[in-house]
Amino acid sequence: MEKPHTRPLPRPLFLNLLQIQMPVGAITSILHRLTGVVLAAGVPLGMFLLWRSLGGEEGFAQVVELLHHRAFQAVVVLLVWALSHHVLAGVRHMLTDINIGSTLHKARRSAWAVNLTAAALALLALGVLP
Amino acid sequence: MKFSISRYNPDTDEKPYLQDYEVDILPSDRMLLDVLLRIKEQDPTLSMRKSCREGVCGSDAMNINGRNGLACITRVRDLKEPVVLRPLPSFPIVRDLIVDMTNFFKQYHSIKPYLVNDQPPPEKERLQSPADREKLNGAYECILCACCSSQCPSFWWNPDKFVGPAGLIQAYRFIFDSRDTTTKERLEDLDGAYRLFRCRTIMNCSEVCPKGLEPSHAIEMIRLSMLKDPGDSGTLPTHSVSPVRK
Amino acid sequence: MTPHRRPGPTGLPAWLVQRTSAVYMLLFLVALLAFFGWHPLHSYAEWKRWVAHPAISLALALFFAALLAHMWVGLRDVLLDYARPAGLRRALLVLVALGLCTGAASMAWLLALQHV
Repeated sequence: MEKPHTRPLPRPLFLNLLQIQMPVGAITSILHRLTGVVLAAGVPLGMFLLWRSLGGEEGFAQVVELLHHRAFQAVVVLLVWALSHHVLAGVRHMLTDINIGSTLHKARRSAWAVNLTAAALALLALGVLP
Repeated sequence: MKFSISRYNPDTDEKPYLQDYEVDILPSDRMLLDVLLRIKEQDPTLSMRKSCREGVCGSDAMNINGRNGLACITRVRDLKEPVVLRPLPSFPIVRDLIVDMTNFFKQYHSIKPYLVNDQPPPEKERLQSPADREKLNGAYECILCACCSSQCPSFWWNPDKFVGPAGLIQAYRFIFDSRDTTTKERLEDLDGAYRLFRCRTIMNCSEVCPKGLEPSHAIEMIRLSMLKDPGDSGTLPTHSVSPVRK
Repeated sequence: MTPHRRPGPTGLPAWLVQRTSAVYMLLFLVALLAFFGWHPLHSYAEWKRWVAHPAISLALALFFAALLAHMWVGLRDVLLDYARPAGLRRALLVLVALGLCTGAASMAWLLALQHV
């Protein structure tokens, strides 16, 4: 019997993320992770600002001024979006943990709700800030 | 209709490529598999797995326009053109649309997919009430087609350590079987950073299951069982799956 | 069965920590927004006084504990998914852990300072 023709491994695989469909829940999920990382990056900054604001009158004034600074407000809007999405997606996860809204159709609806509400809150922040 | 099908011959090709086919759709072509078999008449070198042609064996699972499904129960007329057919994501490609399922089955075997009951066997069968039997609904119907696990990002990143939705829904099937006596061991086996807990409830699995099962829900139930005895957990949800792709 | 079972808080305990810390932080955030919506601060003195209040200091301390625990579980998940090879993953985990401990220590110090 002929020896079967073998090819040296490894075999190729298909994993082009741009060509694989991502349902709405997958978008919510990856943004949950992304916003988590964004917030984590913002925590050292937050801690620094907290420290500064409790360090004396000048420190406090500096922090207040920074929070009103134009350029910084772009960061604030980003952080508002990140926090909104992360918290809303997190609440959605915790509810599905206890079987609330965890069936497919309900989960799709809640995923849309999370994505849109977070975006809306970011736009609100953009509008509200001077 | 235009089709773009992923081709790969390990003997001659460096990597997979898409090959275009143009096919006149006949009235007898209801499902994607019908067309694929006719394409195969034109081009006998095209390789794929297929068997029952009615959505119960799971052989012809593939990635259809980005979303996994069974070719034999996917209506061909509604598919967006060009219909792009690729093998299941992240599984090693043996040839064309045929993938290596070894790791997938290894994960399945790792959860001990058989009843374990060391009590002396009764005269006839081990009895189970209808209510207890209902707990297996929504899990036992899994045909191990691998649509779910190959659409799961967590399984993409750690296929060797994360059991994956298919393995986990089968783990559920035995954890919640009243006749099985090793519930505690089964739950302990799934604890740890990887076995079950790579699941982030992305829910791609429930989205693509061609049998309408919801592995994500089964996984939640297993987690709750780890926390406490769920008591009457009821039946797993399922959803209807239309052959028509949106 | 898997051959290498790591003992210790890796699976269920980590998941529980992530959930409970999230719940606490959510309640804290809502309370914070409600409070500052009702009584916005106007001066450094008010801010200092508010932070130094024993109940607030305690709530803040718990908040930071929850935040850092939550960050640990989350960032660890990201590294476990994406970081390869194992040596790099372990190194990054250690770096993250060190960063978080530093954060914890600095916040503990800051809060302690308010009560001197």
